Amino acid sequence: MVPVSPATRWYFTPAIIIVAGCLVAMVNFGVRSSFGLFTGPISLEHGWPRETFSFAMALQNLLWGVATPVAGALADRYGAARVLMAGAVLYALGTVIMAITDAPFLFSIGGGIIVGIGIAMSSFGIVMAAFGRMVPPEKRSWAFGIATASGSMGQFGFAPLGGALIAAYGWYNALLFLAASTLLIIAFAVPLLVQNTSGSKAVAGEADITLRAAITQAFGHRSYVLLVSGFFVCGFQLAFITVHLPPYLAEHGISKELAGLAMGAIGLFNVAGSYASGIIGGKYQKRLPLSLIYILRSIAIVAFILMPITAASTFAFTATMGVLWLSTVPLTMGLVTVMFGTRYMATLYGFVFLSHQVGSFFGVWLGGRLYDQFGSYDPVWWMGAALGVFAAIVHLPIREKPAPQFAAA
Amino acid sequence: MEWSGHRLAIALFVSVVLVWLAVMAVVMRAAALPSDASGTMLAVFEPGTTEDEIFSRLTRAEAQPVRPTAFGFIWIVNGASPGLVARLKEQGAIGAYRELPISPTIAGCFALADAKAADMFAP
Repeated sequence: MVPVSPATRWYFTPAIIIVAGCLVAMVNFGVRSSFGLFTGPISLEHGWPRETFSFAMALQNLLWGVATPVAGALADRYGAARVLMAGAVLYALGTVIMAITDAPFLFSIGGGIIVGIGIAMSSFGIVMAAFGRMVPPEKRSWAFGIATASGSMGQFGFAPLGGALIAAYGWYNALLFLAASTLLIIAFAVPLLVQNTSGSKAVAGEADITLRAAITQAFGHRSYVLLVSGFFVCGFQLAFITVHLPPYLAEHGISKELAGLAMGAIGLFNVAGSYASGIIGGKYQKRLPLSLIYILRSIAIVAFILMPITAASTFAFTATMGVLWLSTVPLTMGLVTVMFGTRYMATLYGFVFLSHQVGSFFGVWLGGRLYDQFGSYDPVWWMGAALGVFAAIVHLPIREKPAPQFAAA
Repeated sequence: MEWSGHRLAIALFVSVVLVWLAVMAVVMRAAALPSDASGTMLAVFEPGTTEDEIFSRLTRAEAQPVRPTAFGFIWIVNGASPGLVARLKEQGAIGAYRELPISPTIAGCFALADAKAADMFAP
């Protein structure tokens, strides 16, 4: 009997691999997006101040950023599927610890550190790196787009599901359900096993360099540094809006329900925006739409804060921001791939994403800090708009071609 | 294997939405309050029911109106005596839920879907 080659099995076909990777992205992005719903019930149950939960979530975001380049390096070395599976186990373990512990320190370890690392290891960045290696170059940008759109869709679907689970079964069981959901990533990652990079050699057309040399040379490449700088702005704007838009709307008399719906609109329009961005990135130079996205964000922010805040202006703003929300991701990932090839793409995208998370930290922190100082969010809105213009400018000189050190001699 | 990217995307997203709707329907049914429940809750009426009509129905059900939500047919109500959900249903409410940590719109939409499904499969 002739043994069946793994590559001939039905679940190793391109369509199944794409679908499986998208499902990984949905679960990864979705579960974490519902954690905020547990702030009240968990704090109330344990008699904790809100700060305990918030600190764990802040730690989670930080670890997600810091662990992403490491997770990327592991994925580049051992293949995406194994890293995704290990990440799913950590994600589930951390979520279970969140449910069972009543000690703030352990909660921070579980919900902050372990979940943060788990998210990084099972994130759509790892999925996109796998797609980048498996799909033909002409479909690569589309694949990055559908993976990003899937993450957005997960976010859109899991948040109401998490709320309904809490209402139906209580926060403890809801959290255990979500922990179990993260384990689905293990099954979804199976088709990605075909992309095994253990002991991989340089890809045809790319220079044979070590990981360390790749990182050093990338940071010596001006276009990469510009890309990293630009993605900082993305993180700043998104995190500021996510955390501080609801209280800003409340200040302007928008009801909690309408604010919730407006925030939901971001998720819905984000699906379309991310997918469209992937298509556009496959047809045009990626730096141009990327630059346009940042300038449109700035225009949207300025228009929003200068006009009277009404239900209509709120929905117009959140829908516009939704379209522009994660649409930077397929283009940014695409530029990393164009400049540095596919061998170390997960690692090099990881560093770009780390910059995004640092920007997120400053967006959230400065939003609160400057509000306390000035009694208004306006200074941070203007800062966000100015940073958008900065990002639009820094993307323009990016050279959209292979970095010289990475091209085969 | 030849495959169309956009068709694949549509098939994937439609399938996911269908699975999500099925899971949400099950969970929202579990979240619906039993007939003997009382306390603060969301009462969902048929869309289009006027505010005056809802107000009088709530009064007849011995429910204290707390406030309407962004959607006029979904109200947050309160009532201490047991059997509030049963009384609300007698007055035409199609579902009652504890205040959800998400938009009441979700509860409203699923309560409507639940009521329509019950009508369709009723003997």
